[in-house]
Amino acid sequence: MGTVYVTQEDAYIGKVDESLNIKADKKTVLDVPLIKVDGLVIMGRANISPAAISELISRKIPITYLNVNGKYLASIEPDMGKNIFVRNAQWKAAGESAQAVHLTQGFVRGKLKNYRQSLLLAQRRYDLDLNSGITQLSNAIASLEQAKSINSLRGYEGAGSAAYFGCFNQLIRVDNFSFSTRNRRPPTDTVNSLLSLGYSLLRHDIQGALNMVGFDPYLGYLHTERYGRPSLALDLMEEFRPLIVDAVVLAAINRRMLAPKDFITEPVSGAVSLTKEGLHLFLRLYQEKKLSKFKHPVMQKQYTYQESFEIQGRFLAKYLLGEIDKYPPLVMK
Amino acid sequence: MFVVISYDISEDKRRTKIHKILKSYGQWMQYSVFECDLTQTQYAKLRSRLSKIIKPNEDNIRFYFLCACCQGKVERIGGDMPRDTTVFFA
Repeated sequence: MGTVYVTQEDAYIGKVDESLNIKADKKTVLDVPLIKVDGLVIMGRANISPAAISELISRKIPITYLNVNGKYLASIEPDMGKNIFVRNAQWKAAGESAQAVHLTQGFVRGKLKNYRQSLLLAQRRYDLDLNSGITQLSNAIASLEQAKSINSLRGYEGAGSAAYFGCFNQLIRVDNFSFSTRNRRPPTDTVNSLLSLGYSLLRHDIQGALNMVGFDPYLGYLHTERYGRPSLALDLMEEFRPLIVDAVVLAAINRRMLAPKDFITEPVSGAVSLTKEGLHLFLRLYQEKKLSKFKHPVMQKQYTYQESFEIQGRFLAKYLLGEIDKYPPLVMK
Repeated sequence: MFVVISYDISEDKRRTKIHKILKSYGQWMQYSVFECDLTQTQYAKLRSRLSKIIKPNEDNIRFYFLCACCQGKVERIGGDMPRDTTVFFA
């Protein structure tokens, strides 16, 4: 199973028999059986036929629109799940409830622990001194236990992230890339543009998984409600950010698969984005990461990251419905 | 399951139809030979779609099943490589 990425400008996506047929300049550039497809991501402009849309929806394959820089625009998804009980539990926990506090704590703990783990690994591998960052992260993680309100949890999350991104430049082991601080909308350097693109793709996947479980992705706990913001997807994303996106970005840079020549800068806004070749390479790396297997610490079985999105979503549902008394974030050792 | 499907269809129009259906289920490897990696359900659906179209006394379609350990033993000289199904670009 794979995701189809359409990056060709003005491509035409149609349906032929039970396969997806993508044409550009009246020539077929891709023809894939729908049984091999589990997601369609359209970057930039492309036409899609009504027949293809309805076929994709009936097969529960989400369609995501991104702009050429990878910024999320919209998605067409199958109807929200019929599981009203899950959604009811989700809404009941909204606001400052004990469940919301517990979940927020879980998301933040998962994220910060994974941050700390990747710093510890890098420290050992490259013989660096990242102790101050690691101590700050450990302190933030320890304080999480005492935090009683979501706002204070947000504070520790911010402090932890700042500590991690403060060390991020040292994780980059090549000369031609560097990182100072996180910036976005638009990202104005190469590393930030990769991170933003990666988070966009991850969000597409997590939102799909949440929809599958039956959640309303727009009501979150760590992230507050804002028009059009899929807060729950952003919440659940936290623990996966370092595991998937940061790992892919660092691998692409440190293994010298991407070079500064793979990026273009937009002169007025200073927005940095990938060239077509660079983009294809990055998308492939991301996909490979998503399909790589690991032993799930709670389930004690081999899963791909792709499957773990849904597993974490199921844990979330079980916790909200009172079937388990703690939400276990995915923390990798 | 991994299936190699070969067909012998006398009439052009019917052959084109069969070819089109098979393209939705697997990869075209040679003239009238497809390789498909299918689940039980997908195979059943494909088989029923095909059996509706063919004329049993003139045409024939064969399904050769390869077990998991035999799949890796397929040797190829020339021709198209099997499609990578982890990610598709256009």
